[in-house]
Amino acid sequence: MSNWSAYGRRPQGLVSIGVLALTALTLFGGAAASSPVSAASSQTITFAESGLGSEGAQTQKAINDFEKANPNIKVNILVLSPNSTTYLQQLEDRFIAGSSSPDVMESDVTYPAKFGKAGWIKALTSFKPNLKQFFATEVAAGQYKSKTYAIPWFDNPEGLFYRTDLIKTPPTSPAQVVSDAEAAMKADPSLKEGIAFEGEKYEGAITAYMTVDGAFCGKLNPLKLDTAGNRKALAWLYDAIYQNKIAPAAVTGWQEGNVESEFQAGNAAFAINYPFVASTVASQGGPAKGNVGYIPFPAEPGCTPGSALGGEMLAINAKTTHAAAAWKLIEYLTSAKVETARAIATGDPPSLPSAYTSSLLSAAPYFKQVETLNKYAQPRPVNPNYLQISSDLQTMLSSVFSNLTPPSPAISQTAPIVKLDATAG
Amino acid sequence: MTTRAVTRRLRLPSLGGAPPTGAVVRRADRRLGYALVAPVVILLLLVTGYPLVYNLWNSFHNVVLSNAGAPQTFAGIKNYQQLFTTAGFVPALLRTLAFTVVSVVLETIAALGLALMLHRSFRGRGVMRAAILIPWAVPTVVSAMLWVTMFDPRSGFVDYLLGILHLPGSNTTWLAGEWTAWAAILVADAWKNVPFIAIILLAGLQLIPSDVYEAARMDGASAWQSFRRMTLPLLRPALMVALIFRTLQAFLVFDIIYIMTGGGPGTTTETLSYLNWYAFLVNTNFGVGGAISVSLVVISLLIAGGIVLVMRPKT
Repeated sequence: MSNWSAYGRRPQGLVSIGVLALTALTLFGGAAASSPVSAASSQTITFAESGLGSEGAQTQKAINDFEKANPNIKVNILVLSPNSTTYLQQLEDRFIAGSSSPDVMESDVTYPAKFGKAGWIKALTSFKPNLKQFFATEVAAGQYKSKTYAIPWFDNPEGLFYRTDLIKTPPTSPAQVVSDAEAAMKADPSLKEGIAFEGEKYEGAITAYMTVDGAFCGKLNPLKLDTAGNRKALAWLYDAIYQNKIAPAAVTGWQEGNVESEFQAGNAAFAINYPFVASTVASQGGPAKGNVGYIPFPAEPGCTPGSALGGEMLAINAKTTHAAAAWKLIEYLTSAKVETARAIATGDPPSLPSAYTSSLLSAAPYFKQVETLNKYAQPRPVNPNYLQISSDLQTMLSSVFSNLTPPSPAISQTAPIVKLDATAG
Repeated sequence: MTTRAVTRRLRLPSLGGAPPTGAVVRRADRRLGYALVAPVVILLLLVTGYPLVYNLWNSFHNVVLSNAGAPQTFAGIKNYQQLFTTAGFVPALLRTLAFTVVSVVLETIAALGLALMLHRSFRGRGVMRAAILIPWAVPTVVSAMLWVTMFDPRSGFVDYLLGILHLPGSNTTWLAGEWTAWAAILVADAWKNVPFIAIILLAGLQLIPSDVYEAARMDGASAWQSFRRMTLPLLRPALMVALIFRTLQAFLVFDIIYIMTGGGPGTTTETLSYLNWYAFLVNTNFGVGGAISVSLVVISLLIAGGIVLVMRPKT
């Protein structure tokens, strides 16, 4: 064997040693990373949230305070998309890749059942959460197969905004909403529409529909969608666009931000939206400033007023080794003091009844109405296949709002599809 | 410096022994060559080969990621059968094909006109050539968002322009109707992609020698005859490349639809790629998603093959 070939072997030996060292590092590193870290240890956790603007700033402030109170825990905020569909995908990409990051995350009220079923988030039962302190409807949204997977963070009941300068007494029936809208449009030609609502093909169209639905004794039961109440509610929204013409066809492209702008700019007498509209109008002004009423959607005789539950929850990644620290953060963010501060700064309604303090009500009196709406707020179906159900419903609503399919046939065609999706897998 | 020279320079001075024979050096060269291309090959296998094989495997298995712990059993051709029994697949396939044909034909005609115009000499031609690339350089998601704003019935430019020109359609909620939504998508898609085809065709036009046209002119050929009998045939290779690229892009259209209509109103603008996204990311059903992906690859290959067959130069 020549010196040349002998020389050639040297790197192989080095490579082998390198590979062995890397393997060992990976194995031992992996072993070390997989053992749970206690809350008392010094550590860094990642918190995924979708908040921008005042919400993002308030989260950062709360995290700073948390870090001061818990100097051993550093929290990195991972800001994901403010668009709920994109946010969900960004989270799912991480889950599917088996990532342990983010350790703790914001979750829409419709996600926990799916995440829980997939084993992507941790059941929180071992932390013994005090669920009785929260509004019960949102607690239910965080559960799957009797286990709690997510804790209510803030609770957004969608309802009906109206201009108190144009509509002197709040309407008491769906028919009165129509007549009041028509009268307001006649009295004030600067109004572009009687009512604004989310009609784009996205999740918000479902909550807008649910807000009206309850007032017609409807219920979004995936196993029984084709009911008289559900038909009446859908027909009411359809008629608002095409029969009574109190809503423009443009609603088919509107999300809650567009609806908020319409109301804030003084274009709409009524708007179906979330509580943050009151906060925006108060801070940004416009014709609606000081003239905002907020009520659950008025009911037909024999039914209860309508409101749909939106809101955000907090959950822990099933793969994290920092569950204890993550839980500590959740406890902090869902404490009454922190929730009250958030409500004042951002308009996000607290998920704790105890956070509706006199200081909150004096800073933002409309939270009194939010508290009332919370009593009526109905959650969307708690089902691990909710995304599929949601997609079916979005398609149905989009077809109706675009005048492609009349309300009744749309419901009867969609009902079996929704049932199939709800019971699949 | 050649690879061999590098090898020699690296090895010989430190060895001191007899220089290697030609065969040994050739073998060593080959080995070094393999080693140098290996990272790229591995990278390609990882980012292209692995997903392809993984998709193919998924398409024959039951893989639903949101069913924790569910076994990924062999499904045979069930996922493929499911495509044709699911209500949305065939309409989405037809819609995709229709969109592909209409958009590619219209865009190619527009791009050809644009390329012919940019091929002529005029003041500011260089600036124009650079400027037409701007829409193509804008990410599709951004341009789609811009077009959503432009088609807004309240504040959009399109309705405003139609209004001041007293043209029909000025009060249209474009994205709320099936045909108007498709019209808006086609416009947005053309704005983005016509420059891409135009640049390829312009490159093709520049390869045609000018003396061919001079000869034709001397023979008394009209401008139309020159275009039909000389420009078009000589442009065939460039057209083929442009058509293959553009047809496959159009067939796989997703982002512009996802942003502009979300597949709506109803399901009227859902395409195959939209269904693929839905299967993967909403249903997390990688079995059905894989079957759609494989179908898309097969149809794309057929389309590309068809274009090559029709457009290849006849000898």
